[in-house]
Amino acid sequence: MSARRLPVYILLDTSGSMRGEPIHSVNVGIQAMLSALRQDPYALESVHLSIITFDVEAREYLPLTPLDAVKLDEIQVPQAGATFLGAALELLIACVDRDLRKSTPDAKGDWRPLLFVMTDGSPSDLHAYRQAIPEINKRGFGAIVACAAGPKAKQEVLRELTDRVVTLDTMDSAAFSGFFKWVSASVAVGSTSAGVSGSVSLPPPPPEVQLVL
Amino acid sequence: MTRVVTCRTLDGQVIEFVDEVIGSGAMKDVHFSPDRSYVVAFYKTAQDFQAKERLQMIAGKYRESIFDQVGGDYWQNLFCWPTAVLEHEGRLGLVAPTYPRHFFFEHGSRNGDMLGIKGKEKEGKWFAAANLRNRFVDPRELGTWLNHLKVCLLLARAVRRMHMAGLAHSDLSYKNVLVDPSQGLACVIDVDGLVVPGKYPPDVVGTPDFIAPEVVRTSHLAKDDPNRCLPRRETDLHALSVLIYMYLLYRHPLRGAKVHDLDDEQRDEMLSMGEKALFVEHPTDASNRIKVANAKPTELPWADTAKLPFTITGPYLSQLFLQAFVAGLHDPALRPSANDWETALVKTVDLIQPCLNPKCEQKWYVFDNSTKPVCPFCGTPFRGKLPVLNLYSSRKEGQYRPDNHRLMVWTGQSLFLWHANNLIAPNEKLNEAQKKRVGYFVFHQNAWWLVNENLPDLMDVSTKTPIPIGGQLELKDGQQILLAKGDGGRLVVVQMVDA
Repeated sequence: MSARRLPVYILLDTSGSMRGEPIHSVNVGIQAMLSALRQDPYALESVHLSIITFDVEAREYLPLTPLDAVKLDEIQVPQAGATFLGAALELLIACVDRDLRKSTPDAKGDWRPLLFVMTDGSPSDLHAYRQAIPEINKRGFGAIVACAAGPKAKQEVLRELTDRVVTLDTMDSAAFSGFFKWVSASVAVGSTSAGVSGSVSLPPPPPEVQLVL
Repeated sequence: MTRVVTCRTLDGQVIEFVDEVIGSGAMKDVHFSPDRSYVVAFYKTAQDFQAKERLQMIAGKYRESIFDQVGGDYWQNLFCWPTAVLEHEGRLGLVAPTYPRHFFFEHGSRNGDMLGIKGKEKEGKWFAAANLRNRFVDPRELGTWLNHLKVCLLLARAVRRMHMAGLAHSDLSYKNVLVDPSQGLACVIDVDGLVVPGKYPPDVVGTPDFIAPEVVRTSHLAKDDPNRCLPRRETDLHALSVLIYMYLLYRHPLRGAKVHDLDDEQRDEMLSMGEKALFVEHPTDASNRIKVANAKPTELPWADTAKLPFTITGPYLSQLFLQAFVAGLHDPALRPSANDWETALVKTVDLIQPCLNPKCEQKWYVFDNSTKPVCPFCGTPFRGKLPVLNLYSSRKEGQYRPDNHRLMVWTGQSLFLWHANNLIAPNEKLNEAQKKRVGYFVFHQNAWWLVNENLPDLMDVSTKTPIPIGGQLELKDGQQILLAKGDGGRLVVVQMVDA
């Protein structure tokens, strides 16, 4: 009944270095995350998912879609290419501005959106990336989590975007599935018992993930 | 090969568990015993001394005070109660019975279980939201409306029992209650967070949707602030009322269209569940009504409070909903007790009648006290003769006073001892002999008959004719029937609706 939507944006690095096992693991991880979320009645009632991929350009791979209507083909990676995370953030800002429903006197608007960014490198368009960050902050995300996958990912750069940076030491399916499991648990956390101390916190990351604060 | 770990509980019992996590909640990792008859759950984080002591009390003294009494076995089906506490490799854990099979989806979701929930726990939310019921849950899992009443009845009874023992659950929600609407069963789980007033304070504030308004309103205050409201018996009562409302009407009683803060949805949420909480069906303040235009098609007709108002739950429950969501919403002392809910639900089960439409999804509805009853769910009118038995009971020899309790008659409807005597209540205290049917009703050759199976005093008062066991009596409008003599013995006055 006029339930609020929970928009969830996932930004995925599809630069050349993700070819092979890494992107395969990401695909498997996302499918597992989708099934897990669909088995959660709270998520099914509220979550809307969008996926933006970025390499030499940023694409709205999946426009904001209700969870039960999401149909995903396998995400492909080009032969080679840069990591235009700045362009991805710009596209994200445009999408958020277009998608997000504000409250009106008659209807409840959306929950604050959640943002998950996964990259295995560092932005090739660093200037654009840094320019986009203040705009991202104005959009009032409920949480921003960045995932630095593999040894080449630059945590320091990601920390300019959010203080929640998790690292995956390896880029195999176990690591990614752990990460996406954590994403689905974070999305579902709003429906579970809240502690007396009051702070709304993400669940502890799985053992494969290191949280950098 | 997975390893089986053997260890001892703090009270010395030997237990075993398979070293493989079968489920993981917010607080605990769960392992099966090798024969899967019980589970061993370990806390993920270190627990303090008080938590350990509380758990030992819950598995020990509090459990015994409920289960180790005459009729204590009854509660085995209504609670999943920890039986022992253990420490293993530095982690605190508990031993609890495995959930019975019927609390796991047998069919799961529609279209050949498109969501893949077959075999998963039947979390209550699946059954308490119209959209999930209409779009996703396999119809074979949904159960009838009568079964939903039974779910609520068991739930109210379980909460009543805890409160009688001086315990508060502190986090009642559809996550912590397993339900099986296909059979009308319910079980309270996660009782390890029990609150004992003055002894063990709560460690959670509750689950969104079920947190009492005063707890939400004061949640910004420090834990030890004297004005801070924390979970206790009265907040359980709010959660219980919300659960019952949601299991019967598939919508939330406070989630209407009213927006309190246009810019900040968190603050809006806090206000609409806390300080400014308002019943969506408030009789005089319509400002938080659910807007049908905003509802998804699959939320209808349940989102339409004009079409399916709370009053379709009958007079006894309606009164309690008003008490819970109007008078008691911001005044915890006025909330109906679990015992009030239990009594009202028992009486409502007697007011229910089958819908004549074989395709009706709900199958049963509460008699609307009219001469032209209509199923509120599918709109099918009742046709035929419908006897309504008004129950009176004796306080003094020969004097009968109304009990505000009616029994609807339909083919196969049964009379039990608790109908014949108002001192007997259908609850855990019944012995096996008292659970047996004492009479039944049947429609035969255009007349309604009461067949006497075990009512030695049965008599048609109007004609002073005793009806022996094995005999029968035709029901007529205005007729007076004595069901039992003596203290609490009941007299029935028949009203015949002809629609």
